Amino acid sequence: MKPPAPHPPRSPVATPRYWRSVEDCAGTSTDLSSIERACHHGLEEAADPLSRRHFMRIMSASFLLAGSGLTGCRRPVETIHPFAQAPEGLVHGLPLTYATAMPVRASAIPLRVKTCEGRPIKIEGNPGIPWPLNAVSGAPPPPPQGPTDAAAQASILSLYDPDRARRFTRDGQTIPRKLALDALDALAHQAADSRGRGLCILADASSSPSRARLQRALADRLPESRWFEYEPVDLAAYRRTTRAAFGRLLQPLYRLDVARRIVSWDCDFLGNEEETCRWTRAFAAGRRLDNPGNEPSRLYAIESLLTLTGMNADHRLRLAPSQMALVAARLLSECISALEPHQRPAGALAFKSRLQALARTTTPEWAAWTRACAGDLTAQPDRSAVLAGHRQPAEVHLWAHGLNHLLRGRGAAVVYLDRPPEPPAGTLAELAAALAADEVRILVILAGNPAYNAPADLEWARVQSRADTVVRLGSCEDETFPACHWHLPMAHYLESWGDARTADGTWLSIQPLIAPLFGGLTDLEVLARLAGMPVTEPHEIVRETFRGLAPDGAFEANWRRLLHDGTWAGTAYPEATVESFDWNAATAALDSIREVRAPAPDALEVVFARDSRVDDGRYANNGWLEELPDPVTKITWDNVIALSPATARLLGLAVPEPREHLEVPVVRVSAGGRAIEGPLWIQPGLADDVVGLTLGHGRTRAGRVGTGTGYDAYPLRTSRAMHSLAGAQLAATGRVHPLACTQNHGRLEGRPIVRETNLAEFRNHPGFASAMDRDAPDSSPLYANPLDAAAAGVLHQWGMTIDLGLCVGCAACVVACQSENNIPIVGKNEVARQREMHWLRIDRYYAGPADDPQGVNQPMLCQHCESAPCESVCPVNATVHDREGLNVMVYNRCIGTRHCSNNCPYKVRRFNFFDYHRRPDRGSRPREEWDLLSLVRNPDVTVRMRGVIEKCTFCVQRLEQAKIARAVSAGASPPKAVADGEVQTACQQACPAGAIEFGNLRDPASRVSRARANPRAYAVLQSLNTRPRVLYLARVRNPNPAMPGAPPRPHGMSVEVRDPEMPEQGPGTVEGGNGKEGA
Amino acid sequence: MFPPSTHRLPQRLLAGGLLAGASVVAGVWYYFTPQYTRVGYQPVQPVAFSHRTHVGQLGMDCRYCHPGVETSWYSNLPSGQSCMNCHNQVLRDDARLALVRASAGSGRPIPWIQIHRLPDYVFFNHAVHVNRGVSCFDCHGSIHELDESAHLKPLSMAFCLECHRRPEAFLRPPAEVYHLDWRPESPEQQQADGSKLAREWNVQRLDPCSACHR
Repeated sequence: MKPPAPHPPRSPVATPRYWRSVEDCAGTSTDLSSIERACHHGLEEAADPLSRRHFMRIMSASFLLAGSGLTGCRRPVETIHPFAQAPEGLVHGLPLTYATAMPVRASAIPLRVKTCEGRPIKIEGNPGIPWPLNAVSGAPPPPPQGPTDAAAQASILSLYDPDRARRFTRDGQTIPRKLALDALDALAHQAADSRGRGLCILADASSSPSRARLQRALADRLPESRWFEYEPVDLAAYRRTTRAAFGRLLQPLYRLDVARRIVSWDCDFLGNEEETCRWTRAFAAGRRLDNPGNEPSRLYAIESLLTLTGMNADHRLRLAPSQMALVAARLLSECISALEPHQRPAGALAFKSRLQALARTTTPEWAAWTRACAGDLTAQPDRSAVLAGHRQPAEVHLWAHGLNHLLRGRGAAVVYLDRPPEPPAGTLAELAAALAADEVRILVILAGNPAYNAPADLEWARVQSRADTVVRLGSCEDETFPACHWHLPMAHYLESWGDARTADGTWLSIQPLIAPLFGGLTDLEVLARLAGMPVTEPHEIVRETFRGLAPDGAFEANWRRLLHDGTWAGTAYPEATVESFDWNAATAALDSIREVRAPAPDALEVVFARDSRVDDGRYANNGWLEELPDPVTKITWDNVIALSPATARLLGLAVPEPREHLEVPVVRVSAGGRAIEGPLWIQPGLADDVVGLTLGHGRTRAGRVGTGTGYDAYPLRTSRAMHSLAGAQLAATGRVHPLACTQNHGRLEGRPIVRETNLAEFRNHPGFASAMDRDAPDSSPLYANPLDAAAAGVLHQWGMTIDLGLCVGCAACVVACQSENNIPIVGKNEVARQREMHWLRIDRYYAGPADDPQGVNQPMLCQHCESAPCESVCPVNATVHDREGLNVMVYNRCIGTRHCSNNCPYKVRRFNFFDYHRRPDRGSRPREEWDLLSLVRNPDVTVRMRGVIEKCTFCVQRLEQAKIARAVSAGASPPKAVADGEVQTACQQACPAGAIEFGNLRDPASRVSRARANPRAYAVLQSLNTRPRVLYLARVRNPNPAMPGAPPRPHGMSVEVRDPEMPEQGPGTVEGGNGKEGA
Repeated sequence: MFPPSTHRLPQRLLAGGLLAGASVVAGVWYYFTPQYTRVGYQPVQPVAFSHRTHVGQLGMDCRYCHPGVETSWYSNLPSGQSCMNCHNQVLRDDARLALVRASAGSGRPIPWIQIHRLPDYVFFNHAVHVNRGVSCFDCHGSIHELDESAHLKPLSMAFCLECHRRPEAFLRPPAEVYHLDWRPESPEQQQADGSKLAREWNVQRLDPCSACHR
């Protein structure tokens, strides 16, 4: 027998340079023990009231009873209920797909939703939406999928949420639907009598043309009614500030696919801005590196928190929020200096001299940074874009518009669209003032949750009670619910008729895929009833609005076309010609930086960020999103108070040694007489003297999933300090809080798992990634792999590639996989025990100094090894190979020994410690709620029970369906191979960046075959000779050589080459030693 | 010390134990398989529908009532409306059809009792079988000869694998898929014709787990 391959010894000269947590970086990590915990401590009793032993006792008794009566041997009688009158065109068993859209704030994500037997089960992006950004000549073709994000993928779970508002109530008592609607009509009559006096409507932001039409109709019919809008996190600042810059409302479009230089001023366009998934797609298109000759874009990020944009940036500058304006103005001024004299408008020179007159100096580091950045931007002026984030004040946006205007040129990377003015709306503060002045008799709240997320200084709960009647349309009986007199359940968007527009104006239709499960209403219907419109049916309202768009004769045909495509061509806003920028305004805005003071450890600056998963709190009751690890911190089911390592040291705060469960100190953040408490998290890469708070958690009435997760940051937020707050203090409380963080789970022992280099190095050594396979086994296997013989004569060999240069780490794929493959939610306690069930996880690595690290994301899933270590150790053949190269898992054979999981070098096999899909032992839910929750499951995938291992299947159900479709259409002839792009895995289809390619390796022209031929392709843990079917494309950073202190190699790769046998080439020496040396 | 009758006790115990063990194994082997538990299941349906009358005597095609079989994994049951297409002319006032008329009128479905049942964890697709020369007869037997439908074949994994390992023994010309009376002239003839069809259509032995388990 062949002796086992020697484990590559770890050489002391070449230490691994990637780390995953602060303790890891400092060398105090107990990662090995955490892996042992995962492997050995799994058998501990769960903290359930019903322990395993107790369960056995009860079950043996009931088996005895059942056995004596032999009731279990009866054949259950099941009935089949065919349609009495079958709908035309419906074939039972064939899924149907409908185009719709998910409205999010003043935008929407175009979707295609799959339904099975009338229930929506999977959300995909709509690839058929024309996007002005894609029309750029010379840009690479977009991936064939429509982009989505994690929230859109997870929204299907909210549809079946049993904690949704399910009833009409009056003063908290359930009333019949009809009574509530009659009351609404009575209110409308009452309002009509007084021409709307005393009627106030508080709505959330919306892009719906129908809602805008109804809002105007309401204003016409009830001229004294007042309309207010409130979004706790308003992402539209970049658009609203165009009015000050250019004199009218414009919609900026940043063509990140053509831009070669991108600067983000605290703009997390890859994570937390409007239409993130579309920006991600455009950004990734500009980063494609199919061969060394490509010119990828370069991203500069200036930010306070560590965000996905910062992790994907080539250069990153950490700044406290107050300093951002200083550096932004400085960068603008440097750009003005760097331009040729004839390119500088007179106003720009005035700006520059005014800035000099202010004599606000920056640190030498910032000065050098901005100078190098400005030199780079002005080198290709028409291919540069500057984006300012939603947290930035108006002046920073103004300067960003000015800089873009300065750098404009033919085919510019920033274009502007003419956006029609929005209907007038008051602010929440104005509404609070009106309420306090007793001017409001009827308050109608559409969808918002102000009792939870209104600024603390408005004291919303108190002022809301001043209204005589509060009517609320809400999707959940949440914090605002108790103070409402009438509460109407709001229909989910998958149950609604509606319309929406993307930020660029493209018209999208929203059509229901299922009748409202709980009889919910849409905001359109409530508004129409309030306005006393003759037509209150949302379907008719939307048709009426569309009639204005396509007025020609064939209305029905047009309408059907709109519903089929989900959009109407040519509805994007027209491109605007922007001639002049208001330099006087930009110069005047400089006064704001006169008084800027830097933060200090005793006067910290607080930054409020919306949570990357539950947003501003709206998705808090969605278990998929709660359990999704935050893309940066990797914390689930919680939010944290983030501090930089240096600030934590100065304040004398340190995370205690990780024990059985990660427990962190609870700290108190106070400012302006208000305070909040939450768990402390030391976040590498955070700006010093900054406290990062996340909104959206700490809900008190979110439902059974979202109530009580994390802390609530809203009490610290006032209407004057919505985004950041200076002069805060932080103190330890002496208490600790357990966190469930997946950061150390499944650690891969510092071998060259992620590989990256800089662009210049890549051009010198295109094959750098495979050159790192120094520890490849030196002998071929003794026996031929049976797969090689079995694969002959098969049409398909499946394979995947993941481009680490394109993956931004947004985690849409993780939720898409969860949705497609019926992956259960396990809860915080189980995640803390490292029992999360995600088949696809995103490993996040840091490299470099803990204060300012570089970040890398790597999606990790079953590698479908051709010579799989898991298969050889399974005692019952429950995991085997098929002829097409899939490592398949046979659940009904699995007896749960978990040998396979222990032997998997990638740690991607997950074990069902409990019957997560139905836990009757918890007794927490009545049966009908379990039935409701089960509607979300994909009928094509087995629902696994307790005691079996599961893992990524490459979406085998989709592969089989595609092959079956080919065979069916072939009939009495040989079937053809599934065409490239005909079948997509769920993760691939969801990926907004197009980082994942999947397909048939037998087809040399397939996208995946071409990606595997990329010189950056490498296999993880090549040394084990597992021959993975998943290849990764190494990441290539594109730093500016002129930037002072720019490392010649990525931090993680900058280990000195000291091995004499290794030629001096590439950065390929992260892992020292190889099998030969060890033998 | 022990009486002579006990001298042979060890042998007897051993033999008895072996016999008992063997009968338990044999019992489980036979009685716990679908061959015993499923085959022959013939519940009384709410409507006395006879395949023998409709298919055996009138010669109706399977696909008139089960059109989904060609396109979907699921072979649908007919809607009440499909029954009424004929029965508003034929036997219009027959008492046996009261439920069908009521269903078509009210829209309430007829609660047919499910007969055929696959083992758990299996994903079966009708369309790919009937389009590729596997007859209804192969899994449903001579259902056209029954007045009350019954489970005629075991539909166990071993049953499926008989064909998945040796498709040439079952493939028939596409025109004969829905002809439940069709039989090959001889096993040798089936072998020869089936092999030819399998070769021409590229029907392969299909026994990886992922073919049916997902």
